[in-house]
Amino acid sequence: MSLFPKVGRNQPKTRISWTLVVVVLWLGVFLHLIPFYFMITTSIKPADEIMQSPPTLIPQNPTLRAWELAFKVVDTNLLAEPLSVYFRNSLIMTFGTLALSLPITSLAAYANSKLQKGRGARWFFLFFIGTLMVPAAVTLIPSFLLTRNYPFPLPQAPMIPGTTQPFPTIRIWNTPWAVIIPAVFNAFNFLLFKGFFDTIPNSIIQAARVDGGSEFNIFRRIVLPLSIPVYAVAAYLQFSGSWDSFLWPLVVFQDSNQLPMSVAINNLIQRFAQSGTTNAQAAVGANLAIRQLQEAGLSWNGLMVLGLLQTAPIFVFFIICREYLLKGVRIRGLK
Amino acid sequence: MAEQSVATPAPLDIPQPQVAEGNVTFSRRNRLERWAMLIPAIFFQLNWGWYPLFVAFFLSMTDARVRGPLTWKGFESYTRMWNDPLVGQAFRVTFTYAGLSILLTFMIPIIVAILLMEMRPRVQRWMMLLWFLPLSGIANTILWRYLYNEQYGFFQYIATDILGQSQQQFLSNSNTVLFWLIFPGILLFGPGLIYMAGLQGIPQSYYEAAEVEGAGFWRKVWTISLPRLRPIIVTLLTFAIIGSMQTFDWPQIMTGGGPGGASRTVVMYMYTVMNNLRYADATALAIFLFIVIMIITITYRIVVKEDPDV
Repeated sequence: MSLFPKVGRNQPKTRISWTLVVVVLWLGVFLHLIPFYFMITTSIKPADEIMQSPPTLIPQNPTLRAWELAFKVVDTNLLAEPLSVYFRNSLIMTFGTLALSLPITSLAAYANSKLQKGRGARWFFLFFIGTLMVPAAVTLIPSFLLTRNYPFPLPQAPMIPGTTQPFPTIRIWNTPWAVIIPAVFNAFNFLLFKGFFDTIPNSIIQAARVDGGSEFNIFRRIVLPLSIPVYAVAAYLQFSGSWDSFLWPLVVFQDSNQLPMSVAINNLIQRFAQSGTTNAQAAVGANLAIRQLQEAGLSWNGLMVLGLLQTAPIFVFFIICREYLLKGVRIRGLK
Repeated sequence: MAEQSVATPAPLDIPQPQVAEGNVTFSRRNRLERWAMLIPAIFFQLNWGWYPLFVAFFLSMTDARVRGPLTWKGFESYTRMWNDPLVGQAFRVTFTYAGLSILLTFMIPIIVAILLMEMRPRVQRWMMLLWFLPLSGIANTILWRYLYNEQYGFFQYIATDILGQSQQQFLSNSNTVLFWLIFPGILLFGPGLIYMAGLQGIPQSYYEAAEVEGAGFWRKVWTISLPRLRPIIVTLLTFAIIGSMQTFDWPQIMTGGGPGGASRTVVMYMYTVMNNLRYADATALAIFLFIVIMIITITYRIVVKEDPDV
């Protein structure tokens, strides 16, 4: 509201550039909606229509076959478990992470921002966010080994000296904990929380302290209500990140009944791509199950269904957080 | 806690809280609570943040495999990875990809955020609602693989039927594959939420004062908006560099590294090496990447100060 001059808005030059800005922005919004449109329309097209060139913008023969078939994928041995199992795994993984990560990360950020002072606070801050600079790739293998034999980052636990008995280890590998525990402390969210708590005036907290509140009470009664927007932002970031995480679950899960949606769907995409469902010419040697599905009319439409199923929870979570997110934009406005 | 208030004299061993800001002393109970807040985070950060990092250096010097005892190998895996021609290729791809994506997409959210702040609040709300509709990353890759399909994809249709070009190869041409991987980021431009938060914090009076002084659109952007955003831009650019240097998911699902390794980034190659159970080699490669990223980040931090006025 402020870059364009308030006086002389009606001059042709200003008006033209103003209109241009509006058009560009709405164009951006429009382009952004295209993926959704494409996913939904493709999921209700029959298979032969999908492979038509030129592509049809409006489905000519809308059908819900792909939705039915995508749920039947399970019966055909393409996926080892019903979709609901993967869905449940994803939910456990994501909400487990959220439930542990948000309180622990935010309390640490609060303590670092308001309860620690001077040099100590600075060192702790570096300790907490220092790992953001480290590529996740570096710690991938050590973390993987740690999930197998915590606390030994070794493929196999060493023997207790003098015996043939290995040291006792904690094994969280191939359980949901393997995804949850390494994600409990989230350095990026720490940064987000710390940045927010820094903007809360010390005088408010000091006043409460003088009135005789314990630090936890001050946090719960005064700081927490003020910070709902930033919690919403952090929760949303963590949720979408966790729900979509791909490489780490791929590494730490072995049993198919533990896999989250993201990995299961990707496995399916790979199998389809290899078998040539997504190529016009049928692939040689495609396995029978896929062949059957293809003949039944499953192709990109089925994948789109899976993609939409994968998006739906993020979407729901977004709707829940939306109001807070929009408020969250004003985070810095608090003075 | 009442005994700590200013009105009541505190017991001898409990220092009385001073009201003066920035010079707060804490009672023992407060100290306990402070550590209670910090310790869980410290525990997890030590165990899953720093510990694996140090282990990485150690593992890369052994012959770590799935099972069996470790033997010390010194820098063997480093020399092996150094001499691997595929590593050189992967680094070239990574540099090109990171450079291209930062060059082509980093500025867009800043510009859009600045422009979006010009809209009336009601319009702004609607635009933001639509803009931040989330699409799962995996759903996105499915969609773009379909759009890029060479026979019946939407882009092929635009290229051949509308623009009258010859048949395009998109993701299977090794010269253009990286561009087409970045292209969705350009096409689906949007504002950055964090930039918008930063812009909200700029007092209106700055702009009003500038207008009285006769400053136009560009002048205001250049002298008020951008300088105020500078710390955020510097921080986010750091993350963008680090992030784009370790791209994995997107090219892995879109192309799987093809054609002929033309889109195989370092992390993707590392993943391949790891799948061959060569853990030490994979970790050594990751440490190469770490060193490269560190050099870039530190150079960048030296060249670009967070706030030149301080």
